[in-house]
Amino acid sequence: MALRSINLPGIGTKYELETDKGDVVAVFFLKTGNIQMYTLEHDTQTPSVAELTDAEARRLGTILTGAIMEADRESVEIAFSALSDLRISVHTYVIHRQMAGKSLEDLKIRAKTGVTIIAVSRGDSNVINPPPSFVFQEGDAVVAIGESDQLKNFERDIMGA
Amino acid sequence: MEGVVLALVVCLLLALITKRLSLPTIPFYIIAGLLIGQSGLNLVGSDDISVFLTELGLLFLLFFMGLEIKPDKIWKNQSAILTSGVIDLNVNMIIGFVAAYALGFSLFDSLVVAAAFFISSTAMALTSLVENRKLLMRESETIVWLMIFEDIVLIILLAAIGSSMDNPVFLVLKLAAVLSVVYLIIRIGRVYIATLLKRDDELPVLLTFSAVLGIAAFSETIGIPVSFVVIAFGAMLGTIDTEAFEVHSRPFKDVFLVVFFVFFGITTNLFTGGISLLAIIAISILAIVSKFISGMVIGRVIHRNSSSGIEIWSNTIARGEFSIAIAALYGSPIISGTIATMVIVTSVVGAFAARYSNGLKRLLLRTGREIPPPRVSIPE
Repeated sequence: MALRSINLPGIGTKYELETDKGDVVAVFFLKTGNIQMYTLEHDTQTPSVAELTDAEARRLGTILTGAIMEADRESVEIAFSALSDLRISVHTYVIHRQMAGKSLEDLKIRAKTGVTIIAVSRGDSNVINPPPSFVFQEGDAVVAIGESDQLKNFERDIMGA
Repeated sequence: MEGVVLALVVCLLLALITKRLSLPTIPFYIIAGLLIGQSGLNLVGSDDISVFLTELGLLFLLFFMGLEIKPDKIWKNQSAILTSGVIDLNVNMIIGFVAAYALGFSLFDSLVVAAAFFISSTAMALTSLVENRKLLMRESETIVWLMIFEDIVLIILLAAIGSSMDNPVFLVLKLAAVLSVVYLIIRIGRVYIATLLKRDDELPVLLTFSAVLGIAAFSETIGIPVSFVVIAFGAMLGTIDTEAFEVHSRPFKDVFLVVFFVFFGITTNLFTGGISLLAIIAISILAIVSKFISGMVIGRVIHRNSSSGIEIWSNTIARGEFSIAIAALYGSPIISGTIATMVIVTSVVGAFAARYSNGLKRLLLRTGREIPPPRVSIPE
């Protein structure tokens, strides 16, 4: 996989990705605000082109990153390429019976796995930044943030326990 | 005043039609001007207001061009820019100059015609690449850098031609002094200017408008080439926030540039005599042929391929805004007629050539099934 980007003055920025099979996908962020996406099949000369609006491109982007998989297992990975490739994963989980009745303090989530619970959704209400004394109930949806390795530990040690 | 309004309404109607047919608008503005002006019905003449508005159009065209100039990027890509640029410059300048001189233009006039003959329309080339969805082609990068090279040549020409009267050493010193002071002011005030640009009241637009007019008026007063200074000013302000300045100056550029084109047509008399209409058409056709030669040479040298040459040719045929700017700045009446015709012919032909370049390749190379050229390998 080879990726290159180039700034074309007066046109916009181009990202071109060549897959291992030799197909080419190129995305142009035009100065007009629209996005042109070209795909060129290996060994052919004429690309196909789709012109997307900003919103359409973002929609396509989330599909490609696989952000929305299942309703109870949503995850998004955010990459800050400017900050030496800082990557943060945000993941949602549903609290099961074994964890119900315990507080954040009891579970020692951050100490054990490095993962932070940043929000809990219960029924119609949401709690952002729950305090350590916060007690979970079965069926709470929690939003956890951390590195993908930390999230794996969280799934194994806390959710799996 | 009525004249300007009438001209603008005609242009608006024309723009509605040409945009629907996705044709370039510039030649039609000039045609509109020719029809309602001196060469045609003589409904509209130039007055103080139209002269001022056309000046604004030219200033904002040049300022906008300056905003896009990024010296560091040009420096990084100099090898890509230089090879094709030098071929393009030599072929077209020489053919344009020899043709103009042979047709009886004076030495200075031939030079002006050659410059207008050489410089393709950046606006039309870039629009055609986007609208015809040709950005992925290997040639599109070559074309973009070629346009940049032509812009740089234009800047040098503007500095050189505009200053032939004065003592050159004194002028260069004066220019250097002004530009360094402006640069310093921008350097020191950049944070402040950047915050001003983010406001959502009238300040950013007022700042952009008065800065461009201010620097132009100042250059004029102290006698340094205005067009060159405005481009340099654009390039310097572009280092602060290119996008913001583009957003705030675009409405001025768009409207005043239309006035500029249509009044160029209005004040141009195609029938002044001195040079026959036949000769003018000959130059226009030569302008297409000459870009064919340079395009083919560039295609063969850079992409080792004739079909690339045709692609480069078809997208660079159109002469436009900069040719008209050169004519407006330095042209005599005879030159204006010649360049107006050349822009109309080349831009209309160019629009169709760029749209149907694949058909042209088949027609000209007579190879329906040419083996696709290998794509440039992408460095990891």
